[in-house]
Amino acid sequence: MEQLAQAVAERVVTIVMDAIDIDALLERIDVDALMSRVDVDGVVSRVDVDKLIDRVDVDKIVSRVDVEKIIERVDVEKIIERVDIDSIMEKTELGSIIARSTTGVASEVLDVIRAQGVGLDDFFARWVNRILRRSPGTLPAGPPTLVSPSPPPAELKAGGV
Amino acid sequence: MAPTALAEPIEGRQGHYAGAVSRLVAFGADVGASWGLFTLAAAALSFTIQLASGTKFTLANHQIASLIAAVVWEFVYFAYQWTLSGKTIGMALLGIRVVRTDGTAIGARQAIIRTLTFPLSIIVFGLGFLGILTNRNRHAWHDRFAGTAVVYSWDARAARLRWLAKQDAPNPAARATSAPS
Repeated sequence: MEQLAQAVAERVVTIVMDAIDIDALLERIDVDALMSRVDVDGVVSRVDVDKLIDRVDVDKIVSRVDVEKIIERVDVEKIIERVDIDSIMEKTELGSIIARSTTGVASEVLDVIRAQGVGLDDFFARWVNRILRRSPGTLPAGPPTLVSPSPPPAELKAGGV
Repeated sequence: MAPTALAEPIEGRQGHYAGAVSRLVAFGADVGASWGLFTLAAAALSFTIQLASGTKFTLANHQIASLIAAVVWEFVYFAYQWTLSGKTIGMALLGIRVVRTDGTAIGARQAIIRTLTFPLSIIVFGLGFLGILTNRNRHAWHDRFAGTAVVYSWDARAARLRWLAKQDAPNPAARATSAPS
């Protein structure tokens, strides 16, 4: 008798479930209203996070992570752009280490000569652009494969290239 | 040593078209370097011939031979270095290099055409160089013929970091005097 009841119940449930359009039902549920009635803080406070973490096999999860794929999605250049290297140099011993290892009188002289050269290049370019009534911003900075498509910094726009 | 020069915002110029002054100074340095090397080679040749034959030999006394030798030497000096690395001694000093118009490294063909057409920019009253100032891509005549451009290869950012590091680096002499005995 009990087996018959069980079989009937299973059959009824199956028929009812087939008859219900779950998608339509879900569409009618106001999830926001439902969530507003849930005391999330209360639920969270009842969770023993330590116990939960103890049950998690972190090594297993990490072993399933494809690090290469994640790194591919990271824009390293954008991150490096945000790093203030000057500030790092000032705050750490790195500056003095580099100074001791790379700075020679000859390289310093070269740096200064080159910097002066670039400064004079800009000076003449500015005047020529003024005479030719040319906007420096409209001029190509360099060959396409060597210059990134991002807009030039403010000082270049003002100074001309 | 002129710290303000490096403190100015000249970073991020690697790959940008080089200006007239840098190129002119580089050319001047190359003229000096090539003639210096030529004079040394001529002196070495004279000395060797004198040792071998016992008679005094001076290349300058043979005007046509010395002219041909000088022309060939100048051709080799520029064409070889441009083919090898895209820069001559003078260009390396000023931190600039020759590339194709699309920015890739030049080959022997471009280097040879550039060297052969370089004198054209000079002999017409230097008008060939005017394009470095007026042309949008800073092309001189020989750049147009060879399909090349001159760009900054100097890493100004690295130079600025070296300069910053130098400012930050402790003076070894001061450290020695302040150290406890």
